[in-house]
Amino acid sequence: MKLTVNGTEYEVDVEPDMPLLWVLRDELGLTGTKYGCGVAQCGACTVHVDGTAVRSCQLAAADISGEITTIEGLGSAEALHAVQEAWIEHQVAQCGYCQSGQIMAAASFLEFNTEPTDEDIDRAMSANLCRCGTYPRIRAAVKSAAAKLNGA
Amino acid sequence: MKVISVTAALGLFAVSTAIAGETVEINPPVEGSISRAEGLEAWGRIYEVASHPRCSNCHVGEDNVPMWSGPAYGKARPHGMNINGGESRIGAEFILCSTCHTTKLEDWDNANQKPHAAPRVAMDWQLAPVEAEWFGKSSVEICNQLRDPERNGDRTYLDLAEHLDHDLILHWAWNPGGGREPAPYNLQDHVNDVLAWGVAGYPCEND
Repeated sequence: MKLTVNGTEYEVDVEPDMPLLWVLRDELGLTGTKYGCGVAQCGACTVHVDGTAVRSCQLAAADISGEITTIEGLGSAEALHAVQEAWIEHQVAQCGYCQSGQIMAAASFLEFNTEPTDEDIDRAMSANLCRCGTYPRIRAAVKSAAAKLNGA
Repeated sequence: MKVISVTAALGLFAVSTAIAGETVEINPPVEGSISRAEGLEAWGRIYEVASHPRCSNCHVGEDNVPMWSGPAYGKARPHGMNINGGESRIGAEFILCSTCHTTKLEDWDNANQKPHAAPRVAMDWQLAPVEAEWFGKSSVEICNQLRDPERNGDRTYLDLAEHLDHDLILHWAWNPGGGREPAPYNLQDHVNDVLAWGVAGYPCEND
């Protein structure tokens, strides 16, 4: 089947029920997206389908309906996404394992909600777990990213 | 094509007003054939379905917080992960329900076998409208809501049956997978009960 990831079209030969996460990591070698739980309980595998956050462990290859963006395609080293810039400014990551999922979730959330309150952020981001407990920095970085996106 | 041919056949023989829906037969009893007592019996079964966790967990009130309840969960509690469906009832203000309850392109089997995974169907996952708050509500409360056009989407019993025929999220309630307890009876029985209750004049226990 054909799928478009980070602007590149790929042809993959996979079973229709293979989760997108497996396609990304094992078939396309895009290992920035992480496996955490496999059942949509942790958020580590979050990617975008047509700009909207989706848990890639829960989406079967046959159910892909749009263009996929992973952490590798959100920004580039030369032109980081506002959320990535904010993540560096606030030094959010500790071990880093959950962070690509956190960043993808935050980037999608800020498309829907451009001026989030702390409560909004907690509701949007609580389904992305961080064993290092970086939550206060995640909240601060999401607020900074919102301000950047609003041109502040 | 199947629906057209069945309808044509029925017209030819004029034996029934049954409508072949997409997934169920919509075959209301003849007007006047269902007593109030029989209608209330049908309602009792409808309430068993409406109050079952597979249905009521997402028929929540204006706090927009889905519930986790039922045999698999022990004590009833709000959906984990601080989930709030927002006034949009699809989570657009915070995180879309369909981020985890992903949308299948087709309703293929075995998609919901993994225990503890987020259920998914070939529709965008969402809360029921706030007017249809069922969680923790009594039989009389739900009965009166479901017969009130102001609060049931302006639906007759035939409209309710067609809604049951088409809504894939509620079909999931009878085939939830993952070790979850299904809603009682089955979709066709439930549709039949809604039709019988409607033909009986939508009786509620408080009438």
